[in-house]
Amino acid sequence: MKHDFIDRYSRLESPVHALDPRAKIIALFVLIVACVLTPPTEWWPFAIYAALVVIIANASRLPVKYMVTRLLMVLPFVLVVAVFVPFMHKGGPSYDLGLFSVSRDGLLILWNVTIKALISVSCLILLSSTTQFGDLMHGFERLHVPRFFTTVASFMYRYLFVIVDEAERMKRARDSRNFRGRWIWHARVVGYMVASLFLRSQERAERVYQAMTARGFDGTFPRWTEPRMRAADYVFMIIVSLTAVAGRLVVIWT
Amino acid sequence: MHIPDGFLDPKTWGALTAASAGTTGYALYKVREKMDEKIIPMLGITAAFIFAAQMLNFPVAGGTSGHFLGAMLACVLLGAWPGFLVMVVVLVVQCLFFADGGLTALGANVFNMAVVAGLLSYFLMVLARKTLSRPLGDKSSLLVTTAFFSWLSVVLASAACSFELAISGTVPLSTVLPAMVGVHSVIGIGEAVITTVVVAVVLQARPDLVDAYRGAGVLPVPAGGEEAA
Repeated sequence: MKHDFIDRYSRLESPVHALDPRAKIIALFVLIVACVLTPPTEWWPFAIYAALVVIIANASRLPVKYMVTRLLMVLPFVLVVAVFVPFMHKGGPSYDLGLFSVSRDGLLILWNVTIKALISVSCLILLSSTTQFGDLMHGFERLHVPRFFTTVASFMYRYLFVIVDEAERMKRARDSRNFRGRWIWHARVVGYMVASLFLRSQERAERVYQAMTARGFDGTFPRWTEPRMRAADYVFMIIVSLTAVAGRLVVIWT
Repeated sequence: MHIPDGFLDPKTWGALTAASAGTTGYALYKVREKMDEKIIPMLGITAAFIFAAQMLNFPVAGGTSGHFLGAMLACVLLGAWPGFLVMVVVLVVQCLFFADGGLTALGANVFNMAVVAGLLSYFLMVLARKTLSRPLGDKSSLLVTTAFFSWLSVVLASAACSFELAISGTVPLSTVLPAMVGVHSVIGIGEAVITTVVVAVVLQARPDLVDAYRGAGVLPVPAGGEEAA
């Protein structure tokens, strides 16, 4: 099992980790929506959102290096889709750079998608890295997300690591037999791997279900303690949401 | 193809979130109608399987690679509605835990990769199978339509993604549509090869696990060994 890096930091201890999952879910979702709805023509609301993210990240004691590597994951989409926009956008004022010209509207679009993607991804990383999966799912349940989803997602998460390990073992076995796929029809080999992965995972599901039934599974995950919203949770939720909403509203009034 | 936050404007992501939420609600209703709590572990482990399968890259040409989507595979193996719900769970977990795809873009991502690439493509496939199953026979018509419609599912999803980005004013349609559809019509070949091989192998080993073949629209009883195990 080598994949516990995914939520390794959700077991740290910090003021942010100690908050009720519901407070974190609401506060960070409000922040994301406020950020996405802010027009890109003003830069300072984004400074407020970024400041909120930095303050929370700092209080959460997550390693900076970890935050940055996770943030970089969003860049491929930005690079593939948006990086050419300033050069291709037609109309409006543009800056002539000799060989090509850079459109100002295009630059605005690039800034818009990059800053919003970065801030939203930071919020999602903060949420998932400061809350254990089970607690987060329970938080969603308490916020009236259908239990079907939280239970299926909990099972998915529980077996994800096992099945990813299985996939990695198959990959290693394939590579050690000198598989060097170069063309798309070599995808057939991947097909056989996926097929046996599927059969193994279904057979595992059957065994898991039998074992759980034998132990009295009734479709719910019982918990020892029921989390309660404390004053600190309300304070966090209200301060973060209000600051985010204020950042969005002031743009309209000015 | 996972769209991050900020690439779509409010009217686009708002509308797509509503569409995806509505479809998900209906799917939940359809699945609950036929099944009880015991399929939940099965769906969860299948979701983990789709997630792991998406990590297996396959070569496209030369050095580049694409990765598997799995929406059609989920629908063929589990049936339309359970397959769709599995894709929804995969996309939600990818969004919340792996920051793959944005929160406000979640509705759009579900629409592209679960509604268009899953439900829509699968229903088109079911229609095509009806006409093809007489001349070709049950098994080959299943494999032929699986191949074609899993290719189509990737192409349609990439086209939907392009339209959404263009309507939002992020990129002009004339640039993004040919680029996305071009790349994905090649990646789609890989999707078709993998999906067809998987369905063919599972048909040999455990035909009871292929919903589209049994045509019953009910998940296999997870207790195992009751049918052809």
